[in-house]
Amino acid sequence: MRRILIGTLVLALFGGALAQQIRIMGYGGQDPAILVRLLDDVIGAELAAEGITLSYEPLEGDFNAALFNALSAGTAADIFYIPVETAPGIIATGKVLALDGLIDTDAFIDTLVEAYTVDGSVYGIAKDFNTLAIFYNLDLFEEAGVEVPNETDTWETFADKLRGVAALDDDVYGACFPAGFDRFGAFAFATGWQTFDDGGATNLLDPAFVEAVTWYTDLVREGVAIQPSDIGQGWTGGCFATDNVAVAIEGAWMLGFLRNEAPNLQYGSTFMPIGPSGERGNFLYTVAYGINTDSPNRDAAVRVLEALTSPAAQQWVLEEGLAIPSRTELADNPFFLEETAEAQANATVFRGAADGNVLGFQFGNIGTDWMTPVNDALVAIMTGQASVDDALTEAQRDLNALLDRAR
Amino acid sequence: MATPSSVTLTTREQRAFEHWQARRRWARAGLIYALMLLFAIVFVGPLMFAAISSLRTDPLEYPPSVVIPQLQPSNWSAAARLGLAGNGDRWFGGFAPGAVVPFEIAYFVPAGVDVVEPEVEVPRRRPGAGLGAVLAIEFAADYASVSALERRPDVPMTVDTDDGVIEGRKVGFAFTISYEGEGPEIDRLPLDVTAVVGMRYLESTLTASRLERRGRTASFNNVAPGVLGYVLRNYVRVFSEVRSPATRQSLFLAWIGNSFSYAAVRIVVTLLIASMAGYALARLRFRGRELIFMLVLFSQMVPLQVLFISNYLVLRDGIVTIGGFTLSSLWGYPGGMLNSLTGLVFVTALNAGAVFIMKQFFESIPREVEEAAMIDGASHWRRYWNVVLPMARPALGALTILTFQGAWNDFFWPFIVLTSPENVKTLPIGLLSFRNTYGAVGDWGLILAGAVMSAIPVIILFVVFQRYFMEGVSFGGGKE
Repeated sequence: MRRILIGTLVLALFGGALAQQIRIMGYGGQDPAILVRLLDDVIGAELAAEGITLSYEPLEGDFNAALFNALSAGTAADIFYIPVETAPGIIATGKVLALDGLIDTDAFIDTLVEAYTVDGSVYGIAKDFNTLAIFYNLDLFEEAGVEVPNETDTWETFADKLRGVAALDDDVYGACFPAGFDRFGAFAFATGWQTFDDGGATNLLDPAFVEAVTWYTDLVREGVAIQPSDIGQGWTGGCFATDNVAVAIEGAWMLGFLRNEAPNLQYGSTFMPIGPSGERGNFLYTVAYGINTDSPNRDAAVRVLEALTSPAAQQWVLEEGLAIPSRTELADNPFFLEETAEAQANATVFRGAADGNVLGFQFGNIGTDWMTPVNDALVAIMTGQASVDDALTEAQRDLNALLDRAR
Repeated sequence: MATPSSVTLTTREQRAFEHWQARRRWARAGLIYALMLLFAIVFVGPLMFAAISSLRTDPLEYPPSVVIPQLQPSNWSAAARLGLAGNGDRWFGGFAPGAVVPFEIAYFVPAGVDVVEPEVEVPRRRPGAGLGAVLAIEFAADYASVSALERRPDVPMTVDTDDGVIEGRKVGFAFTISYEGEGPEIDRLPLDVTAVVGMRYLESTLTASRLERRGRTASFNNVAPGVLGYVLRNYVRVFSEVRSPATRQSLFLAWIGNSFSYAAVRIVVTLLIASMAGYALARLRFRGRELIFMLVLFSQMVPLQVLFISNYLVLRDGIVTIGGFTLSSLWGYPGGMLNSLTGLVFVTALNAGAVFIMKQFFESIPREVEEAAMIDGASHWRRYWNVVLPMARPALGALTILTFQGAWNDFFWPFIVLTSPENVKTLPIGLLSFRNTYGAVGDWGLILAGAVMSAIPVIILFVVFQRYFMEGVSFGGGKE
């Protein structure tokens, strides 16, 4: 009996010490190192004073699969990442705490908050984000004697500029256009088209969508743009680093790559060109912190979430050149006003979130599978295997089957 | 007595026959060797290509070439000289106070184009991705000063191009980069040399890492690299850039250490348990012997995936007994054994296949040997430890190698058990984290270097102990 008593006592003491231990599950890669430095440099002391310690558990490999496993096994951490592309599915599990009344969401960029809003409740606070911007190679434009892209460009003037540079040489191209909705979609949004209509259906045969597909693929078939794989590259950033491609349409994640692979590339950046609707289109790529409904330390978790997304933490992340903050107030940060190409690119990407038809990179409950039929259609059109109408009709049929199955 | 002519004739015939035989032998040997070479190339080719690519500045270079600057002896000697000048270290180089690094660069200037002195700059260049981007580092740019350029005498030369021969001259420039005053020792000294349009980069003390800005800028990752720092740049980066942000310890070294200790412990535990169990099952007569053997075999038949959730839960929670006392406390892990090598060994040490191999081997040893020991009064333990086990050396050798190879390459269990912190991982899991960190930004050189290094122990093991591998296969296969 005494042994049981001591055991329970030990357990209680042990449990008490653990009460302020908050676990975070997120991406592997460099994120664990960033958190360690963030704790050391900014928020660690403050949290420690309140008796809260953090432990970060990186999920290497397929994050979404690992997170769903952890959620169903009951081993998910107190705080976990919610990638925007799978957010609706993760929130639908009911394991994510609604943050209404717990955290002030007004301070964050509206479109980011919307991406994590389901039925009027907010379930995640974006830790950082990215949008697409036009990056252009200054040397190439100068050599071709063509004016660099700017924020007044429409699809037509933008394409003309690309044609001008591509005329320079046989192995010079205006742009790399991957056959993927994850980049092309931004152009589709510029026509006013939306991934899902009010009834939750997707219409790929909408004239607006067809127009965007035609414009995008025609540039490839014309030889002005090229698919990355055709010049031995895996992605648009790789194309851009070869010095033979005039523009890249990517997010700020390309900056670190350029720093390593093409440190002297002279580039500038501007907003996406204005589409037929008179607006630009853009994607919002982001990942948010969410709180586990089953967390035994909910109050401490909320406190940690506040600290992680606090102005001080976000400013540090921005100034270290690691990511773009999700708070509106950081728009005026002096970092964005620096003369360097990197700072300007970051500012363009930051402001891109509030300019035109900006939609989260998400596809309802089916996640990124949504893109497969569309990507197949883009490949078929770009390589000349099918006409725009035929390819889109087939893609619509495949997509309907996919959506029906998910219902 | 044969006539001289007939003797020469038969000798000639004899010789012709011998020649024909020799030719056939050589032809046959040649064919077999050609086939073996072909197989070797087919199988070793990808590995070789990966090894060469891991040395490259841009592993994705397209079209790929086998002749790369890193494999040119002229660059080796230059790298050694520059390393000595930069840090007094011909192997790893660096940039230390008092250094004066001499450098030369030459351009081809077509006739009619004016020569303009190129701009020389030591850039502030930090790693763009991965852990290197997160850690704070010192920049050579803050301490380096570049001397005035000294123009070398022009040398007339011509260049063949698609549009015909271009007349012109070779123009060279020399300068030094010095580290004045006090300061820290810095790993690398990057350099950019930018010329005007029209001047074409020809050569430099060290071949440029890349040409940028449409050929205008010759960019060097490190102009004081030392031989190893130059040829094995990606390998050096694996150790220097991939560090734990908390302790600054090299993660890769930690992963290698973990992999070795995991393999070593598993070998010892497997040998001990498998040989004891094998001996018992082969020699001792007791009730339920057959059943136990069947159970051992059965555990071999159940797929790993079926058992892993229950085993995982045991590792996570320990086995809870009365009063909150957990079984894992016995090993000093009251909070469960996740993220520890002990836990990993715990779930992987029992290997039914090994027990099976040992049992088969012990059955092949003549009983008479043990009976002789029994007459001398040896106990079971003595017979096992002093008589049979020494005789089982070939089987133990084979088992050691197979276990090492299995443990070194083991992915599934380490992936589940070892997740955090970074320095608790084994090499295969570390390589996965490499892929996530560096693959996303196209830094394949670093990943290839890590992968090649992780393959080396197994390759050495295989080359040295080939014979045992074969024996391992035959022990498992046949019953003598």
